[in-house]
Amino acid sequence: MPELTLTLRHRRAGAPLRELGDYERAGGYAALKRALANLEADEVLYQLHRSGLRGRGGAGFPMGRKASFLPKDAPLRKYLVCNADESEPGTFKDREIMEMDPFELLEGMALAGYAIGAQRGYIYIRGEYNHHAEVLASAIVQARRGGYLGEEIARSRYSFDITLYRGAGAYICGEETALLESLEGKRGQPRLKPPFPAVAGLYASPTLINNVETLASVPTIIERGADWYAALGTEKSPGTKVFSVSGHVLRPGNYEVVLGETTLRELVFEMAGGLRPGRRFKACWPGGSSVPVLAEQHLDTPLDYESLNAAGTFLGSGGCIVMDDSGCIVRASLRLAHFYRHESCGKCTPCREGTGWLERILQRMVDGEGRMEDLALLEALFGRIGGKCLCALADGAVAPIQSALRLFRDEFVRVVEEGSPRPEPMVEAAVAAGA
Amino acid sequence: MTAAEIRTHIDPMRPEFADQRSLILPALRFAQREKGYLTLDDLEAVAEATDLTPAYVEGVATFYDRLYLRPVGRWVLSVCVTLPCMLRGCDELIDHLCDRLGVPPGGTTEDGLFTLQEAQCLGACDRAPAIQVNAEDMLGPTTPEEADRLLERLREAPAPDAYVR
Amino acid sequence: MTRRAPRSDYARIDPAAPDAVSFELNGRVVTAPAGTMLVDAAWAHGIEIPIFCYEARIGAPIGACRMCLVAVDGLRGLTTACSTPVAAEMVVRTDTPEVRAAQDGVLELLLANHPLDCPVCDKGGECPLQDRTFRFGPGRSRFIEPKRHFPKPLELSPVIALDRERCIACFRCVRFSQDVAQDRNLAWQERGPRSQIATETGEPYEGRFTGNVIDLCPVGALTSIPYRFIARPWDVFNAPSVCHLCPVGCNTDLSMREGKLMRVTGRPEPNPAVEEGWLCDRGRFAHGGEAADAPARLKRAILREGSPARASDLEAAVVAAAWRLDTAKAPAVLVGPDATVEEAFLAQELAAGPLGGAPLARLGIPGAALAPLRGLAGAQLGELDAADLVAVVGGDPANQQPVVELRVRKARRRGAAVVVAGPRPTALDAVAEVLRTAPGRLAEAMAALGRLLEAAAAPIVLWDEADLAAEPDAAAALARLVAAHPGARQLELAADVNGAGLRALGIPAEGVLEAALEARVDALLCVHADPLTAPGAARWARALDRVATVVAIATHESPITRRAAVALPALSRYEDEGVLVSMAGRAQRLRPGARPADGAAAGWEILAALGHRLGAPVAHRSSREAFEAAASSRLAFTGLSYASLGVSGQVIGPTPAPPPSGAGAPAEPAGEGLALVAMTEMFGDASAWRAGALAAWRTGAAVSLNPAEAGRLGLVGAARVEVASPEGRCVLPLRIDAALPEGGAFVALGAPGSGAEALLPPDRHAVRVTLTAAA
Ligand SMILES: Cc1cc2nc3c(=O)[nH]c(=O)nc-3n(C[C@H](O)[C@H](O)[C@H](O)COP(=O)(O)O)c2cc1C
Ligand code: SF4
Ligand code: FES
Repeated sequence: MPELTLTLRHRRAGAPLRELGDYERAGGYAALKRALANLEADEVLYQLHRSGLRGRGGAGFPMGRKASFLPKDAPLRKYLVCNADESEPGTFKDREIMEMDPFELLEGMALAGYAIGAQRGYIYIRGEYNHHAEVLASAIVQARRGGYLGEEIARSRYSFDITLYRGAGAYICGEETALLESLEGKRGQPRLKPPFPAVAGLYASPTLINNVETLASVPTIIERGADWYAALGTEKSPGTKVFSVSGHVLRPGNYEVVLGETTLRELVFEMAGGLRPGRRFKACWPGGSSVPVLAEQHLDTPLDYESLNAAGTFLGSGGCIVMDDSGCIVRASLRLAHFYRHESCGKCTPCREGTGWLERILQRMVDGEGRMEDLALLEALFGRIGGKCLCALADGAVAPIQSALRLFRDEFVRVVEEGSPRPEPMVEAAVAAGA
Repeated sequence: MTAAEIRTHIDPMRPEFADQRSLILPALRFAQREKGYLTLDDLEAVAEATDLTPAYVEGVATFYDRLYLRPVGRWVLSVCVTLPCMLRGCDELIDHLCDRLGVPPGGTTEDGLFTLQEAQCLGACDRAPAIQVNAEDMLGPTTPEEADRLLERLREAPAPDAYVR
Repeated sequence: MTRRAPRSDYARIDPAAPDAVSFELNGRVVTAPAGTMLVDAAWAHGIEIPIFCYEARIGAPIGACRMCLVAVDGLRGLTTACSTPVAAEMVVRTDTPEVRAAQDGVLELLLANHPLDCPVCDKGGECPLQDRTFRFGPGRSRFIEPKRHFPKPLELSPVIALDRERCIACFRCVRFSQDVAQDRNLAWQERGPRSQIATETGEPYEGRFTGNVIDLCPVGALTSIPYRFIARPWDVFNAPSVCHLCPVGCNTDLSMREGKLMRVTGRPEPNPAVEEGWLCDRGRFAHGGEAADAPARLKRAILREGSPARASDLEAAVVAAAWRLDTAKAPAVLVGPDATVEEAFLAQELAAGPLGGAPLARLGIPGAALAPLRGLAGAQLGELDAADLVAVVGGDPANQQPVVELRVRKARRRGAAVVVAGPRPTALDAVAEVLRTAPGRLAEAMAALGRLLEAAAAPIVLWDEADLAAEPDAAAALARLVAAHPGARQLELAADVNGAGLRALGIPAEGVLEAALEARVDALLCVHADPLTAPGAARWARALDRVATVVAIATHESPITRRAAVALPALSRYEDEGVLVSMAGRAQRLRPGARPADGAAAGWEILAALGHRLGAPVAHRSSREAFEAAASSRLAFTGLSYASLGVSGQVIGPTPAPPPSGAGAPAEPAGEGLALVAMTEMFGDASAWRAGALAAWRTGAAVSLNPAEAGRLGLVGAARVEVASPEGRCVLPLRIDAALPEGGAFVALGAPGSGAEALLPPDRHAVRVTLTAAA
């Protein structure tokens, strides 16, 4: 069975785990209690290292390794920051974790905080997740009452508390250094690196930043053991990952799978219910909208970091956007270009000016005013934007469009010649199909 | 909102931040609860409460989509227009709402009840096309008929005590 | 005079510094100190890596514009050279096809939305964007979409226009406002392509240093309103000069066209020891008041042989003046605080020679109690960068020596602790530990100051000349503290523009007034001196009643030129040459940036002509010769010449100090009532009042009180009060200000015509004042 529910613990329990008691009954906080009673901070860090857990926010950097970059004996305070900005188009897995398994995140943060020696953690949650912030806020209060946050938690000598910090609507604040700027009360514009947050992060202090799903995976690792976890999946992609499937599928939703054991085809056609009758798979952005697009020939790619890289894309955040043959790739590209233009923070020249230019070229094409030389112009622009900026937003703006032009060049040519008609909407069909 | 009111809200949080400038977003979000948007006076009050200049506060406030520096309606309808929602009909939904409300995207109805705005991915792609009313949980999938029912319900509903957006 | 060189944005480095490492640059092995940014290191080796956002003076690089991408071996992709420190063995290429393509690419994107209005843009011809496009940029643009458009330039403030279309988002101006000046009134607003610089909606950009953003802007987005459309860079000539409006001595660059001074800007090559390229808004915008046709200029010589007064040509007036002085039985000479070294030296020669040993004094503070402090190890302003503690004792540098504020803020940014001691709330309080003292009680702060100094390794003490002259006990205590600390240095916050230069020539501040009061002076030659508007004005007015003849050499009309039998118009500081010595002892050259006003002559020339008429041999045919003569006869100037001063000046030698006297004992303020605390507003003096460009910011005379104090005196609700000291009295508007401490009457000096100077004694001894409501 490739679907394995670890992080989406509430699914195993069959009910939301928003009450501390429910979470404890479902085995929650066993890991924290055990770790604080029996393990040194270093040992927890070692377990994280050994588990091979990779960051689930998009970059896939091994969490244990990142945590070990924090200077050991720095006189400065250390901070743990949870990136709950989840704004990558097509991604809604953190939302489910925070809404249904809030304590799992809090427990994971306490464990990670203990591992790095942080006394305070922050959850930076996107401004639009109001309901979810309320669930988390209530969980934080319950955890404090239950002795899992605050002074000397779980009857140990370790103190750790969490501040919930709410954004106000800006995708870029998911980029870790922009997040730190925003959390420091500045405009959320990314910082020049180095220094990396591990050395000089929040308030110029050593800081570990991880995604919600990454941190929510920690209790399972500590509970079942790093070796058990590492044995799941492939060597370079251990464990499970939640994929958010959206777009032209009949059962959009989150699916947690063992990495490497499921193919894109299985995810789309079995778990997510496949396409509308009579429709053909056309394209898929498997890791959120910032990754190169895949086409039909890639359907048998196993879902893990290496296999997706080999297919020319990234696992990213696991937001898998599916488009069937009713969709127009140029129109889709335009919509993404619009997103990145709207969300560019405006700091770097290529991103600020380039995303808008991309959008305008694609808009002209969709409006039937494209020119053949625009294809070459697009290609030139990709090179002028991609790899030229401070943060990866600009690369994320280029990747899906550049790959689309490569894989679907004929369609771009056709749109230049004929424009792009609006497709038939799917929502009614989907609702009819009981999605 | 006055600086004193904002202070009563942010003062308890002060110990949680090593640099008090971090209080600016909580202060702005709180100040916005009163009217649902921020006036220049509100920005000045936030500046006073956080010991920053009004220009700085305005610079921060204008960075974020969900802080409004112009009046908005009682209900701000945010319709996601990003790719996953587009694939499931958000363009038709927006057109329908524009039609019903008689305003273009970004517009506010004359009775001040509704502001219709395009939003970027709301993290609700499984409910596409998704729509969010103020900052309540996302609704969807939203067919035109459901959108009509939503408008009806909101027209009847009393104004919220505080505008959380 | 030269054509303006392109503003050089790179920090100067010393490739041969002891800590230099070697690395490879475009195939050449070169050296630079480890840690210098690649852009600066490359520039030092003759390779230009183009930049826009980088500005070493503003702070750490932000890497935003992406113009400076280069290839560094071992790093993936290209790297921003502005933020990459040099390391040993590094291999860097700035000329690969990828680098060229990246530069070309960034420029194409920058120009995509940039208007093509160079022919009508004030920046055209001296525009880094234009310049770099020419050298690194695209031959053509493929952008066919409509460009971003904003209706018209905005008035960001009365002196700065903002053309939003032209902005390339380099963030320099905003970082200047946020991090350097820290007025924080200019911010970046909105996000992404919509983003732009802005003030608070509806408010102008206010600050004391706002004009620097014009110099910083690498395009024509921020331009000077007084300068707008006035001149094109190619018909402008530039001269490096020095600002004469306060004793800091900021190095300036004068732009002139067709003989007129068009603007004053920071130096393209900043002087790191002084202003580091920054100017205050007075230094930048006040020059209009000194133009040849400005209303307040003394345009013709005036003769008052009996009455009525009549205009005269200068020749005849000089003859008349010489005759007056020649026939006087007891002539004396008074030199003003901003007379140049040359003028003061010639005045000395005149007094000693043809005038037969006439007494000569400068209009300034005697400050006998300050000698011990002045004798201690001194610091240049630039050395604040390396201080770990900056103590400001008395005064209000933000208003009086404005650029000092920027240097102290910079020291703070670099980690120095700052302490401010004194009775006045000042702008620096925001970044300092404040030791608020009662008026006249600076000595109270010494114990705390001593503890702070002790804890520091390299402290620098900035002390206010006027305040410490008035409080000899504090001066003595401070001198002891600094002397006891092996690493401590001191820097005087001087009251007078060229006070240090006049002292170095050996000119005392006493003698003439005393003699005149005793009717021992019958003719007084005032060289850029107006004793009727200076502290001590009341006593001087009494003294002048006993002086039969006044001869005044002056640039502007003033009470003394109106009182003079002969008034001789002198060239302004923008029209003349000369040397001024800054408060840190730097001798720096004024250079003409405007054609001499008709009917006026250089001050040194008038003095030389007077000497000649009085029978002295013609010794000096130019100010250069006059300076050389001073250098060969005055120890402090030994070895200096115009050539050796160059464009950035030289520190003069030690000034012979009179034996210290009067130290130690607290000086009891004279009179009754509240202690008078003299205040200076940056835009409150005659230079600001004369300048049309500063009209919106001028401040007038006033006396300010703490509300409780006003209540005790029964002055609540009074609009104007009569203020009386043992010296004199005047009527001033009353302000109530809760930020002020009790116990003092805070009197703003400097506003023309206020008469507030009459309250003070000439030696700045502390006084008390009584206040009564005026009708
Ligand atoms: C433009 C941009 C947006 C991002 N948004 C998010 C986000 O919403 N959530 C997230 O966890 N990571 C996001 N990231 C990735 C973060 O920068 C960072 O890599 C991540 O938070 C690290 O956590 P992880 O190692 O647990 O994945 C974003 C990155 C970029 C460049
Ligand atoms: S790449 Fe875009 S979003 Fe990222 S820092 Fe640069 S301008 Fe901002
Ligand atoms: S100068 Fe390096 S990025 Fe702007």
